[in-house]
Amino acid sequence: MSCLNLTMWVSSKPSLSDTSSLSFRSFISPFQLPSQSSTPGNPSRSSSVTPVHCGLRELRDRIDSVKNTQKITEAMKLVAAAKVRRAQEAVVNGRPFSESLVEVLYNINEQLQTEDIDAPLTNVRPVKKVALVVVTGDRGLCGGFNNAIIKKAEARIAELKQLGLDYTIISVGKKGNSYFIRRPYIPVDRFLDGSSLPTAKEAQAIADDVFSLFVSEEVDKVELLYTKFVSLVKSDPVIHTLLPLSPKGEICDVNGVCVDAAEDEFFRLTTREGKLTVEREVMRTQTADFSPILQFEQDPVQILDALLPLYLNSQVLRALQESLASELAARMSAMSNATDNAQELKKTLSIVYNRQRQAKITGEILEIVAGANALV
Amino acid sequence: MTLNLCVLTPNRIVWDSEVKEIILSTNSGQIGVLPNHAPIATAVDIGILRIRLNDQWLTMALMGGFARIGNNEITILVNDAEKGSDIDPQEAQQALEIAEANLRKAEGKRQTIEANLALRRARTRVEAINAIS
Repeated sequence: MSCLNLTMWVSSKPSLSDTSSLSFRSFISPFQLPSQSSTPGNPSRSSSVTPVHCGLRELRDRIDSVKNTQKITEAMKLVAAAKVRRAQEAVVNGRPFSESLVEVLYNINEQLQTEDIDAPLTNVRPVKKVALVVVTGDRGLCGGFNNAIIKKAEARIAELKQLGLDYTIISVGKKGNSYFIRRPYIPVDRFLDGSSLPTAKEAQAIADDVFSLFVSEEVDKVELLYTKFVSLVKSDPVIHTLLPLSPKGEICDVNGVCVDAAEDEFFRLTTREGKLTVEREVMRTQTADFSPILQFEQDPVQILDALLPLYLNSQVLRALQESLASELAARMSAMSNATDNAQELKKTLSIVYNRQRQAKITGEILEIVAGANALV
Repeated sequence: MTLNLCVLTPNRIVWDSEVKEIILSTNSGQIGVLPNHAPIATAVDIGILRIRLNDQWLTMALMGGFARIGNNEITILVNDAEKGSDIDPQEAQQALEIAEANLRKAEGKRQTIEANLALRRARTRVEAINAIS
């Protein structure tokens, strides 16, 4: 505040009291010039730091605004970290279900291996049309997360076009929706909204859509594009074939690499040395033997029919959960970077501010001394 | 002998405790399960599940899935399950009416499949409430 008073006093002194602060600034700038030239030792440093040319008040405003932005980004980072933890909890909660499911599916498959089964969800037809389920986030400010998955989708679309195959999109998440709405030449079957925490209901909505598309033979293959959560700093957009389901309880990606469904990965957020880290745990579900006297109440085909939609659903849910976790992790690192940048910027601005203030004070002292000398 | 029931959905564990008896709607009709039941595996239809705790009957709306019974352990895996007491009657009734209207409007194979499924879910929820009263 004292600095402000000083500048007001200085500005009023050369009988220019009616000038605005802008003209005052242009007036004060000649004072700065000698001070800068008088210190030839550090012009290189000051030039590297000061692409900032503005007045003291503007500098102060900028420092304040950077401070505020930093607070916001820091808060967003913390919120994202807390949400990652919740996403992890959701995965843990869904675990007993997926474990029992895989266990049952494996056992039934074993028993059905000898029979020739034909369930609608496992029908492998010649592929004419492919449905792509693209899972994006609802919000921005998460680095390249949404872009990465959309780019992956575009690449896949180009690939399908090259193969001469028809395609349709099922878009999940607001960011994807707005992207595809802006591009009317991409056929979109349905827009679905994601949510802050994926539940079975949303997974069901997607699974229902996919199911009816596939069973009514509108499409012959369904692929799920989502971001796989690898670690807090790494996540990969992946393509995962959803339908037709392989009755062996295995799922294959586009390259024909089979991912074992019994391998259940989940991530755990921990703190190590004061920093958040993620541990990824790979669990191999123990497939305990069924009692051999187990009877099937219905036809094995019917039981498989009941099981496979469940399996489909849990696959979709897991993809949603992974995608959400990746989004939050991406936001966390983006916000952490932003906070660091803000810190840096604040430091630079403060240095410039202090230097300018010092220069002005020096100028004023020189002026006063010169005035006093003239009087004597 | 005690009978343990475990109802699992992708989100959470809906029920995990001892029961006296259950009646389950399977694809081939309702079956009752008492302690020491023979081990079976069955598909569970969209329908209601009745649970007996001592002399009290509870109902639950199940949205299709699978059940495994054996060794006095019942594991039911379903897409979604709601206790009858947790369902809002008005909301369920409205959902049923909407589902009926949708089915009438449905055109083509795909929409009919979807509308039929939605209608059955809605009907089950209404039934789950009415079974109590």
